[in-house]
Amino acid sequence: MEDHLITRKQFAAAILVSQLSPLLRLLPQTAVGFAGRGAYLSALPALVPVLLLTAMLASFRRHMRPGEGMGGLLLRWLGPVAGRLVLILFAAWFLFYGGFILRSGAERLVSTIYPSSGQALFVLVTILLCLLVALGTLRAAARAAVIMRAVLISALALVIVFSTPNMDRRQLLPIGWTDGVPILLGALPFASVGAVSAGFSFLEGYVERPKNGRWLWGSTLLLLALGGVICATVVCVFGPALTATLTYPFFVMIRSISLWDLVPRIEAVVIAAWVGADFLLSTMLLRCAHEALRPVFGLPSPEGPAMGSIRDGRAMLWLEAAAAFGCSFFFDLPPWELRLWSDRYIPLMSDCVLYGGFLLLWLVTLPKRKKRR
Amino acid sequence: MRRLLIIYVCLSLALLGGCSASLEADTHDVERLLLIQTLGLDSIDGGIEMSVSSGLGPEDAPALVMSVQARGIEDAIARLQNYSPENQLFYAHVQYLLLGEGAAEKELQKVIEWVDRSPTLRMDTEMLVVRGRARDAVVDVSEDAADITQRLASLDRQARSMGWTIHTLREAAAALAQRDGALALAVEAVPTEGKVFTDEQQSAAVVPMGYAVLGPEGLLEFLSPEASLGAELLTGDPTGLLITVSGCTMEILDSSARIEAARDENGAPCAVTVRCRLRTGVLERDAGEELSPEALDAALCQTVSAWVGEAVEKAQAFGCDYLGAKKAVLTSADDLARYGGEWDQLFPALPVTVQVEGRVDRSYDLAE
Repeated sequence: MEDHLITRKQFAAAILVSQLSPLLRLLPQTAVGFAGRGAYLSALPALVPVLLLTAMLASFRRHMRPGEGMGGLLLRWLGPVAGRLVLILFAAWFLFYGGFILRSGAERLVSTIYPSSGQALFVLVTILLCLLVALGTLRAAARAAVIMRAVLISALALVIVFSTPNMDRRQLLPIGWTDGVPILLGALPFASVGAVSAGFSFLEGYVERPKNGRWLWGSTLLLLALGGVICATVVCVFGPALTATLTYPFFVMIRSISLWDLVPRIEAVVIAAWVGADFLLSTMLLRCAHEALRPVFGLPSPEGPAMGSIRDGRAMLWLEAAAAFGCSFFFDLPPWELRLWSDRYIPLMSDCVLYGGFLLLWLVTLPKRKKRR
Repeated sequence: MRRLLIIYVCLSLALLGGCSASLEADTHDVERLLLIQTLGLDSIDGGIEMSVSSGLGPEDAPALVMSVQARGIEDAIARLQNYSPENQLFYAHVQYLLLGEGAAEKELQKVIEWVDRSPTLRMDTEMLVVRGRARDAVVDVSEDAADITQRLASLDRQARSMGWTIHTLREAAAALAQRDGALALAVEAVPTEGKVFTDEQQSAAVVPMGYAVLGPEGLLEFLSPEASLGAELLTGDPTGLLITVSGCTMEILDSSARIEAARDENGAPCAVTVRCRLRTGVLERDAGEELSPEALDAALCQTVSAWVGEAVEKAQAFGCDYLGAKKAVLTSADDLARYGGEWDQLFPALPVTVQVEGRVDRSYDLAE
């Protein structure tokens, strides 16, 4: 078992890379829609709910036994009936959200690079690749995440540096007290993206101890800082009013970047790199769903090299992948309707499940934690 | 199992790499690829007319120039492809977007939305408004020796050195979204007959004609050359612009401009003052004109005041803030919150004073 443990740094990388997918789907336009030119400052108020959630999860982590994730802990504390019900609800959310990520990632790739193609092919290939990874050891995905993190952050830095000639820093000012409420509202999408890490507490059984969660704070701060920088860059380039109306302002910005006359366009490489973030998030969600359902059905841990096997509870992973694939067809919608889901319904549902759900669980399990102290 | 895995991964890579029938439409055969470099749009009854030019090919192969009428932009692209079956028209390298008067009036927002959604076109494409039809500029200008893209590239360089600014579609779209007004360089296709004598075949040239004012709905008006100079002083960098004052042709060496607001007792903006400073150098003068340096400075200030005043008056008359006066006057967040909403009513009613401080530096040639 020890061989399959993920280091805390690898787990933090996997979480950060996974969060980069909703970050670019939500942040520039939704945050700017709420906060206008002050969207980059919305990262600061978002720190409060995200760090509170992180602290809340840390209080759960401290009570996890070796090899136990959030699924095992909740079943132990809530009992067989309520525990199972809660775990099934979480698993359903992970698969539904996974289906959405598959579809929205495919839509972004198709609409920005392969406009004449269908999305189903991309969804199918991605879910099969996700299943392939989820069937094996999570450590491979976490190690890949460390490389992906370096690639994606380098790509972001490159984009920001090469967008500098088009930036007008005056777009970020003036900011006054009257912008306070919009900036607070702009923190909502930041907080939604930050909360995605909460779902990964179901994978804690595969992460090395200690489980105090402090290591996650640096990753959370980096994520929110990246979000703030992206908002500031896009607003400097397009202005707040245009940013709020563009479909994918960040990717529209990338389209205009040339590396002098050597490489006239780089958007295909950057957008394709973002497929890595969608892929990792989908894989993690698939595995989170499995880790939520594993204690419900008393299945063993599927760690090990037998990727194509259906033993050790792996048959359930195939079913879960099929369910996520099925959910992706729910989002086979016209672009404007998918954007509505992406900007409003999904973040709202995610906040309800992750902030609301974990807060409720924290309150319900308060006596258990006090008793154990 | 391992073999199965390898086959699966190879198949996935093959699909992602484009070896699939459903992706074929997005694959580009380099040998057949024809890069469109200039795209012109005109509005016609029941649709649009799109004119394109590929630019000169390798070894000065003539440019492919085409024009079609269609119901919409995508329809036009499909039709253009039908007329060029041997080539695959590729729009990712469009450098110039020419909007005819009609298209600038009616199709501007549609064009912005189309470029936003387009996987190939860039928001940073340079946009010009053509007096008359864009088709005339694209088709008539293109000939064997030079095509519209080459002419526009030359105009681009010349405009920069002469102090005109060619705005990109992104700049225009951002200005329209933020302040309901934008400027775009206006050009006209003029025949070279009687001006150019070396061409075997007479054609046309593209010349700058000042600025076009764009509002949220589209083209509002073409500014006069004088008002365009005033607008350039307030919004751009007019260094290098040639102006003629009292028989003297001068070049603007440097300039700065600022819009300020006077406040009433409640702190509300009650008047606007436009302050300009510019330094010019004399290039040539009429032989008969005798002006002291002081008189020349005064004449420069008076002339430039009139140009700037006309640019501001037009902005007030159109109710569109293409000069960025709102941002200059409402400098604090509190101001924006209090007066930002009623700016459209407030700005046209504000009295405007223009103060120009001008100096003709190289007046040694006038001293004798």
